[in-house]
Amino acid sequence: MRSKLFLLVLAAICLSFSVAANAQSYAITNAKIVTVSGATIDKGTIVIRNGLIAAVGANIQPPADAQIFDATGLTVYPGFIDALTNLGLGAPTAAPTGGGRPGGGGGGGGQAAVTTAAQPTSNSNYPAGLRPEDSSFDELKAGEAQFDTNRNAGFTTVLTTGRTGIFNGQSAVIDLSGDSVSEMVIKSQFAEHVSFVTIGGGSYPQSLLGTFSALRQMFYDAQRQQEVEKQYSADPRGIKRPEADKSLEALFPAINRQMPVVFNANRERDIVRALDLIKEFNLKGVIAGGQEAWKVADRLKTMNVPVLLSLNFPKRTASASPEADPEPLETLRNRAETPKCAAKLAAAGVKFAFQSGAATTIGDFFTNAGKAVEGGLSKDAAIRAMTLGSAEILGVDKVMGSIETGKIANLALVKGDLFGRDKFVPQIIVDGKVFEQKEPARQTGGGRGQGGGQAAGGPNLAGTYTVNIDIPGSPITGTFTFTQSGTALSGSMNLQGGNTPIRDGKVTADGFSFAATVPFGGANLEITVHGTASGNQISGSIDSSQGTVSFSGTKNP
Amino acid sequence: MRKAIVFLLLIAITSILPTFALAQAKIDVLVKNGTPNTWFKDSVANNDVLIKNATVMTAVKGTLENTDILIQNGKIAKIGKGLTAPAGVRTIDATGKYVTPGIIDCHSHSMLDAINEGAFSVTSMTRTRDMLNPTDITIYRALAGGVTSANLLHGSANSIGGQNTTVKFKWGHPVEDYPIPDAPPGIKFAMGENVRQTTQSPQPGRALRYPRTRQGTIETDRDAFLRARDYKQAWDDFKAGKTKVQPRKDLELEPIVEILEGKRLVHAHSYRSDEMLNLLLLADEFGFRVATLQHGLEAYKIAPEIAKHGTGVSIFTDSWGYKLEAYDAIPWNAYILWKNGVVVSINSDSDERMRRLNLDAAKVEKYGGVPEQDALQMITLNPAKQLGIDKRTGSIEVGKDGDIVIWTAHPFSVYSRVETTMIEGEVFFDRAMDSQMRLDTANERETLEKLDVNRAPGTGGGPPRIPAEKRRGERDEAEYGDGGNR
Repeated sequence: MRSKLFLLVLAAICLSFSVAANAQSYAITNAKIVTVSGATIDKGTIVIRNGLIAAVGANIQPPADAQIFDATGLTVYPGFIDALTNLGLGAPTAAPTGGGRPGGGGGGGGQAAVTTAAQPTSNSNYPAGLRPEDSSFDELKAGEAQFDTNRNAGFTTVLTTGRTGIFNGQSAVIDLSGDSVSEMVIKSQFAEHVSFVTIGGGSYPQSLLGTFSALRQMFYDAQRQQEVEKQYSADPRGIKRPEADKSLEALFPAINRQMPVVFNANRERDIVRALDLIKEFNLKGVIAGGQEAWKVADRLKTMNVPVLLSLNFPKRTASASPEADPEPLETLRNRAETPKCAAKLAAAGVKFAFQSGAATTIGDFFTNAGKAVEGGLSKDAAIRAMTLGSAEILGVDKVMGSIETGKIANLALVKGDLFGRDKFVPQIIVDGKVFEQKEPARQTGGGRGQGGGQAAGGPNLAGTYTVNIDIPGSPITGTFTFTQSGTALSGSMNLQGGNTPIRDGKVTADGFSFAATVPFGGANLEITVHGTASGNQISGSIDSSQGTVSFSGTKNP
Repeated sequence: MRKAIVFLLLIAITSILPTFALAQAKIDVLVKNGTPNTWFKDSVANNDVLIKNATVMTAVKGTLENTDILIQNGKIAKIGKGLTAPAGVRTIDATGKYVTPGIIDCHSHSMLDAINEGAFSVTSMTRTRDMLNPTDITIYRALAGGVTSANLLHGSANSIGGQNTTVKFKWGHPVEDYPIPDAPPGIKFAMGENVRQTTQSPQPGRALRYPRTRQGTIETDRDAFLRARDYKQAWDDFKAGKTKVQPRKDLELEPIVEILEGKRLVHAHSYRSDEMLNLLLLADEFGFRVATLQHGLEAYKIAPEIAKHGTGVSIFTDSWGYKLEAYDAIPWNAYILWKNGVVVSINSDSDERMRRLNLDAAKVEKYGGVPEQDALQMITLNPAKQLGIDKRTGSIEVGKDGDIVIWTAHPFSVYSRVETTMIEGEVFFDRAMDSQMRLDTANERETLEKLDVNRAPGTGGGPPRIPAEKRRGERDEAEYGDGGNR
């Protein structure tokens, strides 16, 4: 807790500013250079010109016009890549309520209109959540200030994708600099992303059974659509014109193996289900999450399916309580085994790239990569999985991922042990643009702020969570969508198709609370919710006149 | 994870165990506890096994005293007296023990991550195969009750539900080993209160779903068959070159075409005799046979009609009164159906009751006096027939799969316990092994709980966790019924 707090304080205090390095050349001298593609240079120089690496080596003379930065004591890595994020896409949109949501039900009265305004209009024949044409590129917000935290941690590049629905949409590879979306984007369409979820609101599919059937039907329909369109364009006479269908057409690159399909799957059986679909439709498959990927490493290797491996390792969130049931053995094992997954994948020859897994604290990325190293992964392999290895999987290895002449100048200058708690990135170069941050004076003692501002050391809860509420006899699934401003929490909860705003939301050092009025059995029920958060997990209890029930949830990636 | 442990344990015990001091300690524990495991020490890599000197309830040819069963390559190779184990075949001494075929549960929702897709009235495109969870502890508990196979059905939320999966409970194996490869495919139909949704309170924001009556239910079925007929015609026309553009591959209608072609078994959730008759008439109209009426609480009222259709019935022995349509049930249902020549099976529809199907079979001896072998068939051979897997399992006969249960006493006794359950000769439950595993998991838990990653967060603040008072599978019968909406 202390170190997480420290990192947040640090991030808040750090100033970051940028220097334009395009006009003249820029040289980093006296640095230890981890090129990743070749041998590490113990003391060398990197020259940057026009946003590209112009030269790198031990005996390079900086050009006369170069602005020189003496990096004595620092290690230069290729800019780090986070292989799955939702960066740049703004606040999450409301959980999709499905297209043809049946009317007549009445819903939760006047309160339900909180997030419906955000519902995008579309000419798709499919409900929101089953629209593969959704594109991160279309939804990206311009401006590099939004990436300060990630850049300061050492990231130059991320894969970013929507987070809702069965089809999350198409992801983009972006650099974390640039004032316009066009400047940011490295690759506008990397892959189609799929989650094994339902779309809610009473629409099909409302169970995982239907999710798989719906996916299959759409892949089959896309195959046929492509065939018929081909047939029609070859000779349209005597054939009824095939209906235009932008959702099915968006799947053509996927079924033709031109675009990878990324399946979000952590548990072994979800990974196996994804692999079965990949095989059935001959897709260029990728697994994202992959906590239990080590259990099917051989099959991943055989099918040549890479893993975007989450570094958001499971943590225990529940406080000790004498009345609590013992945790399931499976949970205990999972927490112990997950950090060892990367090493096992490496041993089996499975390709993988590290990703932050919607972790609430970005610093966990490197410390948890360190845990993967403790779990048996070589340091080189760990570094590769956040640089060149990622770039290979994302199809951008020709332009980034290593420190080589001619590649994009994406560089992270690191002070201290990359995997250690006191790692600091005084300077990061994104697309040739230099960003600096000053190391803050070390805080001593409990530096917890007293009220006001961002909850010092408190979690960042913003996002949408899929929540299981353990009502005895009839557990239900819903979503909590939070927006956080300092210690104030707002947003909505969506249970059984009704959308309800939350009230009196507060964020504390390690938890949160809010109240709401929910329609229940034809009446309004007042509830209060108390929870704790850790990583991307939340859990807690819901109190009402009907009694107390527990809930647990996971932040949607 | 658990399955990996079981599997590793099996490997460990059978092959490498004696080489480790730790493993030796485990054997010492076994011996100290008075439960020395007699079979594993001289076992070999294959699953060939000779069961010696048992009371064998074959389920077809009566009960054979002091009889041996040799299983080789997963199949029952010999049944007789004084058999000797070929080289490399391990022997289990079953003196004083009873042996039955593995129990088959013809109606289960165990090991499924989702049971109902209720968005539509026809969800024949869904497959329980997609939802198999091979880590569900229910599987192991079922094995401990002698169950080796099960019919994993979609729930009863709609007129036509999803496609079934007929599995063997190969606990510890990868999920693809569970489905029985040559089992004919099936599908769930449902009628009555669950489909009409009369037992559910409408959820806010959701429209009521058609059908809301029994007549609407049968209309939904008929409509699906008519659509399937048209669909098949469209494909036939295309294949015959009569149309230019290939029709859409429709995952909803394809399984219904298979029903019409006699390739897919219909398992129809039904309570009242009138709705059962309606479905049988509909089957006549479209020229197929209903494989089973599931639950069939009022089936005894129309036993001759059901027999005439060659339809099986899969029932609870004595469970009733949990909803309006369940008030006319009687415990003589099995007897009356049996007397009329109907193939009857007894199912659990419950993760918990699945473990005690032997006692449910015993009850039909009490109510009406079904003979012992016929009662045993109701949990072995008859469900195998209903599921189309009787060529390979369901009785102890030479040539069938080595799906065998060894009991400490007569399986119809409440004092009887399962000692060993094997599928195709491979042991998936063994009481001595279970004792060892309990020690192992307790040790493992102790080690794991000490890890930093499993410690409770130091700073409190959150409310104490509320114990899950009622976990799945531990609810009482009244609450559970036939699974409510299952």
